[in-house]
Amino acid sequence: MKKLGKFLFKFCFVFVLLNALLFVVFFFDLDGKLMFNVVEPFLKKHYDNMERKDVLKEPYDLDKFPEYKY
Amino acid sequence: MAKKNPIKAVKDFWYGKPHTAEEGGRRLGELYEDKTGLLKHREWRGVKDTFYYMYNIWGYNYVHMVLDILKFSNNPIDFVKGTWRYRWMGQTYLPVIHWFERGLQGMRGEALAASAWHYRAMVSASIHQICNFFNADTRLHGGKKNDAYMHTIYANETVCGTLFYPWKDAGYQYLPMEMIPYFVTCHVNSHTVLNYIDAVQSIGLPGDPCPMCQAESGLFVLDDVPDSSPMVITCNEACDASVSTSTLQDWFADKPLFALPIPMQFDDPLVKKYCMNEIEECWKFIEEQTGVPFNWDSMVKYLERQNKLQRDEWEKWDVASKTDYYPVNGVAQALFRIYSTQYGIQTSCWEEASEKVKKIMYKCVEKKINPFPQTRHRVIAWSCAPLYFSNWCTWAYNCWGLNTIINMDSLMFDMEIRTDSYDNMLEDMATYHMWAPMRRMAVGGMHHIFELWDYMKRFNCDMVAMYDQLQCKGMQGVHGLFEDEFRKRNINAFWIPHALPDCRTVSRAEIRRQINDYMTTVMHEEPLDPSLLDFDDSMTW
Repeated sequence: MKKLGKFLFKFCFVFVLLNALLFVVFFFDLDGKLMFNVVEPFLKKHYDNMERKDVLKEPYDLDKFPEYKY
Repeated sequence: MAKKNPIKAVKDFWYGKPHTAEEGGRRLGELYEDKTGLLKHREWRGVKDTFYYMYNIWGYNYVHMVLDILKFSNNPIDFVKGTWRYRWMGQTYLPVIHWFERGLQGMRGEALAASAWHYRAMVSASIHQICNFFNADTRLHGGKKNDAYMHTIYANETVCGTLFYPWKDAGYQYLPMEMIPYFVTCHVNSHTVLNYIDAVQSIGLPGDPCPMCQAESGLFVLDDVPDSSPMVITCNEACDASVSTSTLQDWFADKPLFALPIPMQFDDPLVKKYCMNEIEECWKFIEEQTGVPFNWDSMVKYLERQNKLQRDEWEKWDVASKTDYYPVNGVAQALFRIYSTQYGIQTSCWEEASEKVKKIMYKCVEKKINPFPQTRHRVIAWSCAPLYFSNWCTWAYNCWGLNTIINMDSLMFDMEIRTDSYDNMLEDMATYHMWAPMRRMAVGGMHHIFELWDYMKRFNCDMVAMYDQLQCKGMQGVHGLFEDEFRKRNINAFWIPHALPDCRTVSRAEIRRQINDYMTTVMHEEPLDPSLLDFDDSMTW
C-alpha cells in the first residue's frame, strides 16, 4: 500500500512537472522563438549554400515527346 | 499608479480580459516582440480557453503532425531527407503552429474551437501532399522510379483534383505541383517564396507579371520541385502570365506534358463544349500514360463525397448568412474552402473537420451563442487575398470589430457536380474547371465579378473588403468600375492593396494603415483595441 502511494505520488509529481514545463514552452512561445532564432537561420544557411543544378543548361527539346492530340 | 481591482483581476484570470479598451481590455498588440511578430507570451484567454488552446490545439496539432507523417509516409526517414533537401519544406512547415497563432489570435470559446478544426484539416492535407511528394521523389531514392512514382499524376495547382477521381481507386494519386511548395508556404512563412520570385527574375524574366506565376516558375529555376511523377498536366491558371509558366515547366520538368487550358472566355456554350473536349483529351492522356482506363464508379464515388461536403458548406453558409451564430473566423473559412475545393477528396480530413465544425455551429445555434460578440460590421471580402497576410481578418475583428463573414475564395466553387449520367457529369466538370481559383470572380467577366452585390445581400453584409492585387492586370482593369459601383450603391468599402505572395511590395503594416484610415476618416469609429493600430511586424513569418 505504501509502495503504491509512493508510486502514485511520484507519478503525479512527474505529471504535474511535465505539464508545468509544457505550459512554460506554450505560454512564452518558446517553440516559436526556437524556430525563428535558431532553426530557420540554420536551415536557411543550408539551403542558401546548397549546390543546385543549373536548369538553364538543360536543352529545351520541343520534339522529345509527342503532341498528345486526340 | 492606478489601484488594482482584485475582483477584476480574479475575473480576468478566470475568463480572460475583455475585448474592448473601455472595459480595461486585453491589448493584444502589446504581446508582440518588435519586428519579428513573435509573442512575448501567448494571450491569457481565461482558464478554460487557455488550456483548451494549449492541449486541444497547440499540443494536439503537434502530436497529430507526427502521427500524420507516420500515417501518410512510406518511410519517415524520407520525410527527414525531404526536409533537408527542399527549402519550401524545411523553412516553411516547421513553424506551422505559429500560423495557427496568427489566425486564431484573440478568439475565444466556440470561435477558437471551430476555426482551429479548419486549420487542423489544412495541416493534415498538407502533410498528405508532402508525404506523397517524398514517397515518390526519385531524388530521395537514388534516382529509382518506385511504385509511388509510377502512381503519381502531377498537375498544376489550379487544375482541380476532381478531374483525377477516375484513377483514385486504382491507386493513382493526384499531386498539385505548386500547392505545397508555393501556395501554402506563403500563408505559413512568407519568407520562403521570395527566393523563388527572385530566382525567376534573376534569369532575366520581367518582375511585373503576377508574382504567383513568377514564384511557380522560380521553383523550377531553383530546381526545387521534387521528381515524383512520370507525367505533368499544366494549365494557364486562367491568366496570360501563367502561359509562360507552363512553357518553363515544360522545359524544366522534361516529362510527357498535357496542357489543359482554362478558357479565357466562358459562359458561352461553344466554349464550354470546347472545354469538355479538352477535359476528355486530358483523360485520354492519363489513360495512355498510366495504361489504366477511366473508371466511372470511382469518379461517382468521390464526386458524391465532394457533393456532400458542398452541401455541408451550404448548410454552414445558411447559418452564417441568417444568424450571428457561425463560429468560423474569416481566414479559417477562406483557406479551408479554397484548399478543400481545389485539392478535392484526396483524404478524409475535410469531411472530418466539417462534421466537427457543424457540431460546434449547431451548439451555437441551439444555445444562442454569438462567437463574435464584438462584431460592428459584417464584411464580405472580394477578389484575391494577400497570401502573406491572409490573417488580416483576425486582426480586423480584434482591432475594429470587422467580422469577415464570407469571401470570394469560399464562393468560387459554389456548385455540385451531377453524377446521374456521364454527359451531365462532364458538363458540370467543365463548369467547375472553368470556375478555377482567381478565375470566375476575378478575371471571369463583369457578370461574375459583380456577383459581389448578390452575395453581399445573401450573406447580409454591410461592408466590402476589396482586395487590390497590384500585379493582376485583369483586376487592375476593373478597379475604377468598382469605385463607381460602390459610390452608386452607397456601399462602405475599403481597398486592400497587395502583391499576392510578395510581402515586400505592400507590407502588412501598410495594409493595416489603410484599413485604420478608412475606419477613422470615413466611418468615424474608434478601435476596439487601440494597441493593434500600429506595430512593427516587418520580419514576421
